[in-house]
Amino acid sequence: MPGFRDLLPEEAEALRGAQESLLEEMRRWGYRYVVTPMVESIDVLALGLNAEQQRRLFKFSDARGEVVALVGERTIPVARLVAGKLRSAALPLRLCYAGPVLSADEGRFHQRRETYQVGAELVGASGPAADAEVIALAARCLEAAGLRRYQVDVGHSEFFQGIMDAVRLPAAVKAGVRSALAARDFVALEELLAHTPLRSAEHELLLRFPALRGGAEILEAAGGLVRNRRSEQALAELARVQELLVAHGLGAVVGLDLGAIRDFDYYTGVIFEGYGPDLGRPVAQGGRYDRLLERFGRPAPATGFVVQLDLVWELLARGGRAPLRRIDAALAWTGSGQATAMRLGSTLRLFGMRAVVDTEARRDREARAWWRAVGAENLIQCRGTKTVAWTAHGGRTRSLPPEQVAARLAGALS
Amino acid sequence: MTPGKGNSRPAPRPSPRGVEGEISIALPTGMLLPGALRLLSHAGVMRLSAAELGRRLLVERSGVRVILVRPADVPAYVDHGAADLGIVGKDVLWESNGSHYELVDLHFGPCRLVLAVPEESKLNGPETWPPLMRVATKLPRTTAAWFEARGQAVEVVRLHGSVELAPQVGLVDGIVDLTASGRTLRENKLRVTATLGSSTARLIGNQASLKTRTDAVQAMVARLREAANHAD
Repeated sequence: MPGFRDLLPEEAEALRGAQESLLEEMRRWGYRYVVTPMVESIDVLALGLNAEQQRRLFKFSDARGEVVALVGERTIPVARLVAGKLRSAALPLRLCYAGPVLSADEGRFHQRRETYQVGAELVGASGPAADAEVIALAARCLEAAGLRRYQVDVGHSEFFQGIMDAVRLPAAVKAGVRSALAARDFVALEELLAHTPLRSAEHELLLRFPALRGGAEILEAAGGLVRNRRSEQALAELARVQELLVAHGLGAVVGLDLGAIRDFDYYTGVIFEGYGPDLGRPVAQGGRYDRLLERFGRPAPATGFVVQLDLVWELLARGGRAPLRRIDAALAWTGSGQATAMRLGSTLRLFGMRAVVDTEARRDREARAWWRAVGAENLIQCRGTKTVAWTAHGGRTRSLPPEQVAARLAGALS
Repeated sequence: MTPGKGNSRPAPRPSPRGVEGEISIALPTGMLLPGALRLLSHAGVMRLSAAELGRRLLVERSGVRVILVRPADVPAYVDHGAADLGIVGKDVLWESNGSHYELVDLHFGPCRLVLAVPEESKLNGPETWPPLMRVATKLPRTTAAWFEARGQAVEVVRLHGSVELAPQVGLVDGIVDLTASGRTLRENKLRVTATLGSSTARLIGNQASLKTRTDAVQAMVARLREAANHAD
């Protein structure tokens, strides 16, 4: 099926490794792991998704005729969980999750319809400290997954909303400006604003939207241009978040992006995206969504993010740094060597090595052919109980007692 | 992948953009190519002939990489970051919904998207449309959306070429097609009854390029914008 594919060991193991590193980092920050179902009622998902996002869901009806969908993200299911089964749990709650998400869109090119996400949500905490915490966590997650070069762009959805409040435009033009920005269509935006006689600082800001990036200095520059409380408040919050991220030790990787364009109806505050080198899409994204939980009957501020595991793997593979997960030892045997092979295999696994014991007796050339097929670092041929023949990849063969081989391999490992 | 290779380390894939700091631009084959090359030349980015680019498909010079792809593929190259910037007709953008930024109207390559019917047809304004309109086009998404916005039921027949032929052989009531001068339509005895939209060449940009290499990409955008405005 287009958009779906099998993951072979190399990629599947790397993805799982990245997922475990991410969840482990989240665990260290006190985030508890939850699992939500692959399938949700469309009524639940509709509380958080706009019409276009709902269109992209894989929908079907269950045996009772109820319309259900395969989840396209897990923030909404987690919100349902926090307002439902966890409603008596004290806020703030720190939760994390992982799993595949699906999209019914048949993408062009090599676009995937099944992707893998790891996410974290901090529910019940508002303010810059909470915003900075999830941004810092997202950054540390990227590091934990093995990315050495990345940047995090932090913006604020209220900065834009304030400009839209303040800018003097007819309602119809305002709606046009919103949809042009949502579609990232700056040609349409320019046209709309060119036909309005009033020029103001807000006009200029809207026109320069994709270029409103930089360090702390951009806050001052923008502060000199906006004259509305909503945008000023947003700039003040961003300044505080930036300071806190420096305290988190992340000053060097964080940039400010006042022109960040995201789902304006969903996000209500600080938003952010993580980028790796030379990848056309953000590898992590998140932000504050303070109005979602109330739709489930438990009003609470919330912020969170997801990391796109597929893209993490793509970045690691591109940098040639995909974690290598070789099999450490292939154990071949003949005759009474079978029991030795079993024992030695157990010992190696106790040391955390990956060891494969042959299922049939093989000697010499056949054993070597099997070794190559297994793709292991070491071949250990067991012909009796006293000594085994150990061949390291690209090395010579030595005859040693099995416990010495185990000790040497374990020593090489540490 | 063969099973035996399952454990080997993946060869580091070359970065799709080659040298760091280099800017890559995707240009479309066909009608817009001469205008796009003229723009690059006016902007002082690169002097390149259509023949040379057509032969090599990828030309790299002094920090700029130009690649030649089919018009409909330009958004894909830009969305996936294989190109930082792309030049493409607005008509192609109508049909694709990617994550790129549409940055500049480059003004060249103007054409209109029109609804045309056979000269002898009774169809004219919306009041004359049949309950179910059959329309052939190369732009099914735009066409369906336009009729839907007008509350008209439509059956869109997607064709890949010679759209003008479809009404003459009775396949459809009319066609939705791009026209610059209207000559092809007249030659095929077709009459324009409505304009769905106007298209020109646009400059589009990859979202991550704009964020991770802001200065270099914005500088290139500014140069191309300047050149496009001066050509007017």
